[in-house]
Amino acid sequence: MSRARRAWRNSRLLRLFIVASLFTAATQLVLSRETGLIHKEAPQSKAIGSDRLVSMEKLPDMGEYCETPTANTAAGHEQVLTAALEQRQEGRASSLAARAAGPAGVDTQDRSKMKPIRWIRDPYAAFSSIAVDPINNEVVMTDENLFQILVYDRMENTPRTAKLSEPKRIIAGLNTKIEFQCGLYIDPKDGSIYAVNNDTVDSLVIFDRQAKGDVKPNRELNTPHGTFGIAVDEGAQEMYLTLQHDAAMVVFRKYAEPNESPLRLLQGDKTGLADPHGVALDIKDKWVFISNFGSVSSRHPREAGARARRGIQKENWPLERAQAIPGSGRSLPPSIIVHNMNDHGDVPPLRKIEGPKTQLDWATGLAVDEPHGELYVANDMGDSILVFNVTDNGDVAPKRVIKGPKTTLKNPTGLWVDSKNNELWVANFMNHSATAYPLGVSGDVAPLRTIRSGPTSEPSLGIGNPHPLAYDSKREQILVPN
Amino acid sequence: MHGFSYDDIHDEIVLPQQFGQAILTFAGGADGEVAPIRKIQGSKTRLEAPDRVTSDPVNNEIYAPEGDRILVYDRMANGDVAPIRSLEGPDVGRGLDAVAIDPVNNLLIVAAGGGGGRADTETRFLVWDRTASGNVKPKMSIKGPRSMGGPFTIYPPRKLIFATNRPADDSLAGGVSYLGVWSYEKSSEAAPLWTIGGPNGIFQMPRGVALDVKNKSIIASDKRLNSVLTFRVPELF
Repeated sequence: MSRARRAWRNSRLLRLFIVASLFTAATQLVLSRETGLIHKEAPQSKAIGSDRLVSMEKLPDMGEYCETPTANTAAGHEQVLTAALEQRQEGRASSLAARAAGPAGVDTQDRSKMKPIRWIRDPYAAFSSIAVDPINNEVVMTDENLFQILVYDRMENTPRTAKLSEPKRIIAGLNTKIEFQCGLYIDPKDGSIYAVNNDTVDSLVIFDRQAKGDVKPNRELNTPHGTFGIAVDEGAQEMYLTLQHDAAMVVFRKYAEPNESPLRLLQGDKTGLADPHGVALDIKDKWVFISNFGSVSSRHPREAGARARRGIQKENWPLERAQAIPGSGRSLPPSIIVHNMNDHGDVPPLRKIEGPKTQLDWATGLAVDEPHGELYVANDMGDSILVFNVTDNGDVAPKRVIKGPKTTLKNPTGLWVDSKNNELWVANFMNHSATAYPLGVSGDVAPLRTIRSGPTSEPSLGIGNPHPLAYDSKREQILVPN
Repeated sequence: MHGFSYDDIHDEIVLPQQFGQAILTFAGGADGEVAPIRKIQGSKTRLEAPDRVTSDPVNNEIYAPEGDRILVYDRMANGDVAPIRSLEGPDVGRGLDAVAIDPVNNLLIVAAGGGGGRADTETRFLVWDRTASGNVKPKMSIKGPRSMGGPFTIYPPRKLIFATNRPADDSLAGGVSYLGVWSYEKSSEAAPLWTIGGPNGIFQMPRGVALDVKNKSIIASDKRLNSVLTFRVPELF
């Protein structure tokens, strides 16, 4: 870098630093005096206005970072031309070096510090599952985008003009083992948070109610691969977990040790399980409800002495993909199946809600309202909440549907029935929001309250565990399946 | 889903459905809840847990690696159809995770071992003639990333492989992550020709790779960043 350019950059950096310092000081003053965000009392959820500092995070050391000059002035124009020329010459030299390099025994071209020219990323939380702590009056959400658990005041209601609401507590970071979480349960007695990791981390992580920051889970349970939903029978102290990849459901002791085996396993062609997602319990009637997307294959028994692919052999461990029978795959209609809570093995369901009248379309989260005998369904692709009687069977229409522009529902994936406060909470994956409704509503109704994690003007990208990519050269689009 | 293809000749998207043991083909401009235009599924298919498929639009074929075999289908196959050939046997090997087809040089490149963060093996790129069938030894073997992060891609005009390296243990992120470039001109035990965005760079847990040749760019996904990054590297094209 030339001396003149370095001096120019240093002076720019100095000015930038001064401006940033003044801005930070002013912001702290505003936050402390006007919003009370900086105070000594217990933190509360707060709405953040449109132009206020939400958080600051130190950028990782990515090597030297040259500011991009603008061409608005004569000096800037010269800078742009110089930079372009240098880049062209650097590129030419690198190209010649690369072409001269053979495939073996050559030095690697080190571009480890290269920065992307574009970075597609959603900076705001995408709520995937939700649960209420009625004792402590808090609502808790998992965030599949930024890998967080967020705790808000239950009465929080983000003002229309605010950018977002700040949570009371955030659990996030590599120590937490949180990644692509999709299931959530709150212990009604002590407020402990049970959060299910889905495809990339085979563990259920459990945090004390007051946990925050990058902390290790207070407890962990090693789960089969692809765990999605969770429901707990507090009376029997048992946890029910659905398994997408192996089309199964396992039941663990609520306080199981990390490597403990499940107590029971539901798996097999008779069970009706097919890419299961949500799970909910009707304790009064001893029923378990499971939502299915519909794709499934059959399994053959594990050979004697064969080890499970994902870990040590355990009792009641599901048959995995290594036991899939080639060519046995089926694409079944979406469904909700009902089993007895103590079912074990390959047994048929008691009932199955399935068919075109049901409106099921990627039915994901489930919740039972026991006092009213109703089953609530987060109908992801339908942008709706479907309500059935817990006794429904076959191709039946929902008794109520919450859907429409006033509801602000958008790809709902998680929900929670708060029987104490007679409210239904919904996690909307695709619009940075969670919404609360009175139990029993129907049609196109506005939520009682909305908690937003981002501005209404900002689109949700919906990226969740991106793996393969493809480039559509005709439309000049990047294809990103999750 | 761990691997799929966009077929730019026929404007189609080909992707696997692992749980239902199926290969689905959609129109290139498909949007929303639309049915596939073709579906390979059923007892004759031999599909077991397809999570990565690759289309060869030039030769009208679809490839599905299944660990210990590569199954090849006619591109237009629909319904319960058998593969038109398979590559499998002791000389082929195991751990066949991902496939790329080079229609220019008529080669089949397969990434074997190291996939999914396995710590006990490292990735090797094995090269066969495109139409190899049965129990055939690879004609080339190239040392790849220690632990391949996701499906790879190739640039046939320069015989280059683009793949990512991720931590080989249970870490959720790590400084060993990078996007690498290898040559498949001949067998090699050499280090990658290029490392981009790491080690100790921007990547935390890189996955798949795609090329935008027109704009001389490499596009990569990163699981931990939960995002998609584009690097412009004109020297490689």
